Amino acid sequence: MRNIRECKLYVVSGEQYHPGRGLLEVMEAAIRGGADIVQLRDKEAPKRELLRKAEALRELTRRLGALFIVNDHPDIALAAEADGVHLGQEDLPVEAARRMLGPDRIVGVSTHALPQAVAAERAGADYIGVGPVYPTGTKPERAAVTLSYVSEAARAVRIPFFAIGGIQPGNAEDVLAAGARRLCAVSAIVGSPDPEEAARRLRGYIERWEFESPSGMPASGGVRLIVNGREGVTNAGTLLELAAEYRLADRRVVAERNGEVVPRAGWSEVPVREDDRIEFVHFVGGG
Amino acid sequence: MSEAAPGLARYARQTRFAPIGIAGQARLAASRVLIVGVGALGAALAEQMVRAGAGEVRLVDRDYVEPSNLQRQALFDEEDARQALPKAVAAAAKLRRINGSVRVEAHVADVTALNAGALVAGVDLALDGTDNAACRLALSDACFRQGVPLLYGGVSGSEGASAAFVPGRTACFRCLLGGEEAPESERNCETAGVIYPAVAFVAALQAAEALKWLSGNGEALRRSWLTADVWTFAVRESRMPAGRAGCPFCGREAGAVTDPVERERACGDDPAGIAPLEAVVLCGRDTIQVTTGRPLSPGELGETLRRRGCRILASNAFLVRALAPEEIRLTAFADGRVLVQGAEADAGRAIEACRRYLADPEEGCPVPAETSAGVGKTEGGNGDA
Repeated sequence: MRNIRECKLYVVSGEQYHPGRGLLEVMEAAIRGGADIVQLRDKEAPKRELLRKAEALRELTRRLGALFIVNDHPDIALAAEADGVHLGQEDLPVEAARRMLGPDRIVGVSTHALPQAVAAERAGADYIGVGPVYPTGTKPERAAVTLSYVSEAARAVRIPFFAIGGIQPGNAEDVLAAGARRLCAVSAIVGSPDPEEAARRLRGYIERWEFESPSGMPASGGVRLIVNGREGVTNAGTLLELAAEYRLADRRVVAERNGEVVPRAGWSEVPVREDDRIEFVHFVGGG
Repeated sequence: MSEAAPGLARYARQTRFAPIGIAGQARLAASRVLIVGVGALGAALAEQMVRAGAGEVRLVDRDYVEPSNLQRQALFDEEDARQALPKAVAAAAKLRRINGSVRVEAHVADVTALNAGALVAGVDLALDGTDNAACRLALSDACFRQGVPLLYGGVSGSEGASAAFVPGRTACFRCLLGGEEAPESERNCETAGVIYPAVAFVAALQAAEALKWLSGNGEALRRSWLTADVWTFAVRESRMPAGRAGCPFCGREAGAVTDPVERERACGDDPAGIAPLEAVVLCGRDTIQVTTGRPLSPGELGETLRRRGCRILASNAFLVRALAPEEIRLTAFADGRVLVQGAEADAGRAIEACRRYLADPEEGCPVPAETSAGVGKTEGGNGDA
C-alpha cells in the first residue's frame, strides 16, 4: 500500500460539480492525471448508497494504486476496506476514530487554525488538511484562512499537511511558495471539463516546487525519519530529545538506531539524522 | 551403567551434537552457573542447566512458593506451595532428584549491591531470572567487575526479551537501560499477566547461549538484543553495542579484573549499598518486603507470633508464615526479611505490623522505629513474573 507521506495531490469527490458524468469516471481521470489519494465526500447520500460508492471507489483506487479515504464515517471506511477516514472538527475525535480503525489505517483531520493542527498531530492524526486557503464553494460558510496559516503550518506541523480550499492551477504556485508541499483540490479537478488535465497541471506545480527546494529539506524544517515503523519529522537533534518528544525519556525503554541498540547513557550524544530508523522498545522486566 | 553416575551416557544426545561434543560436555561438567531468581524463568533455566550437566548450579531467590506460581513455574508443585517452601530450596530438592551429579546450592536471599559480588564470585556465568531492575543492576555491576557474562531474560504477557551482557564485548545493563533512577517498566506480571509459552521461549533463548558459553563456544554467542511476542508471533533483533568509554563497569579501561588482589577487592561488596531497613513493594501480589537487617529465627518467632494471637500457616527451617488478627499475613525469613501481605501496599502499615508481631520482648524491636529509608519504593520481587 502507498504511504501517506508519498502522497502529493489529494482529490476529494464532489458529484455536484460534474452533473452528467459518473463518480468513477471522474475519479479515474483525476488519478490518471496524478492524484494519489482520493476521498469520498458525500453529505447527502444515505449510508447504504454511500457504502456502495465507497466499495466502487475502493476497487478503482486499488486497481490504480491510489489511497482511498472516506469522509466522516469510520464505519463505512471499515466496511469498504478504505485506507482511512477524514474527520472534520465537528466529527468524531481522532482518538475515537483511531480506536475503531486501529493503528494501521489513516486518520486525517480538517484544521482551520494552528491550535487545531497541533491538537490533531498530538492526538495521532496521520495528516491534516490546512484551509480553506481561499474562499470555496465546497464550504461557503467558512472564512478563508489565507496563506499565512499555510506558512504557520509549514513551520510547526510535522505530519503531512494538504493545503485545501479554492486551490486551482492559477494559484497553486502561491500556495506552494507559502510552504505547502501537498495540495488538495475539489472543484478545480472534478469540476473541470478535463479532470485528468487539471490534476496533471496541479501535480506539475507540486513537483516543480519540490525539485527547486533544497534537497532533503522538508518544507516544515526538521528531520525526516522512521520511528517504530512510522515515518515522521522531528526537530529533535539527539536521540534523547527524540525520546522526549515521544514522552519516553523517563521511561525504561530500549532504543535502537539503524539496527543497533543505543545505550541509554549515550542518548544525549547520539544525533538524529535524515532517514534514520529508530525503534523504541519497552523493557520487558518480568522473570 | 548406573543412571545416577556422572557418566557420559546420559548426555549421549548432547555430546553427539557436534559443537558440544565430549570436550564441551567436560567443560560443562566443570562449570559453575549462578541463577538469580528462581521463579518462572529461573526454574526453567535451572532445570535446563541441571539436565545439561553443569558442574554446579547456585540458586538465589527471596520468595516462597505460592499456588499462583504453579501455572508457569515448572519445578514446583502443590505440596511446595502448601508448605510455603522458599523457591530456591524447593527447586534445589527437585533438581537434585533430576541430576544427582550436579552440585546445587540454594540461597534464600535478596540480591542487592550488598551481596551480589559474593554470589557471583567463582561462577562462569550468571543467568537472569529476576523480575526487577534493581536486582539486575546489582547483578550486572558485580558480573562486569568480575568478568562474568550475564544472560538477561525478561517476560511479560506474551512478550519476552533476551540478550547477553558480556564484559569486554558489550555494554553493561546500567549503560544500556539506565540506573536506579529510571522507573520500573510499567508492564509487569501484575498488570500484563504472563503465559508460560513466553517464559519457555525466553528461557530457551537464554539456555542456548548458556550452553554455548559453558561448553567452550563463547565465540558463537548471539550478539543481539532480541524481543519477541509468542502470541502475535513477532521476533525482532538489534545489535548489542560495545562497552561505553568511561563506564567503570563496561568501559574499555574497566575490562575483566585479572589481578588476584584486585579481583578479591572487586568481589567484595559495596558497603555504601547497605540499607539497614527497607520496605519495598514486590511485584505480582499485594506484598511488601521489609528488611530488618538482622537474622531471624523462624522457630522462636513462631512462638512469639502464636502468643500474640497469630495463626501459624507454615513453618519450616527457612521461614515462618503467620496470619495476624487483622488479616495481614507475615512471612519472616531467616535472613531477616519479612514479606507482608494484606497491608494494601502501604509500607507504613507493613512496618507497623512487623513491629507489633515480630518484636523480640527481651531485645526490643527488630524493626527500628525510624523507617524512612527506601519506604514506598516500587520494585518487583526476584523471579515472580
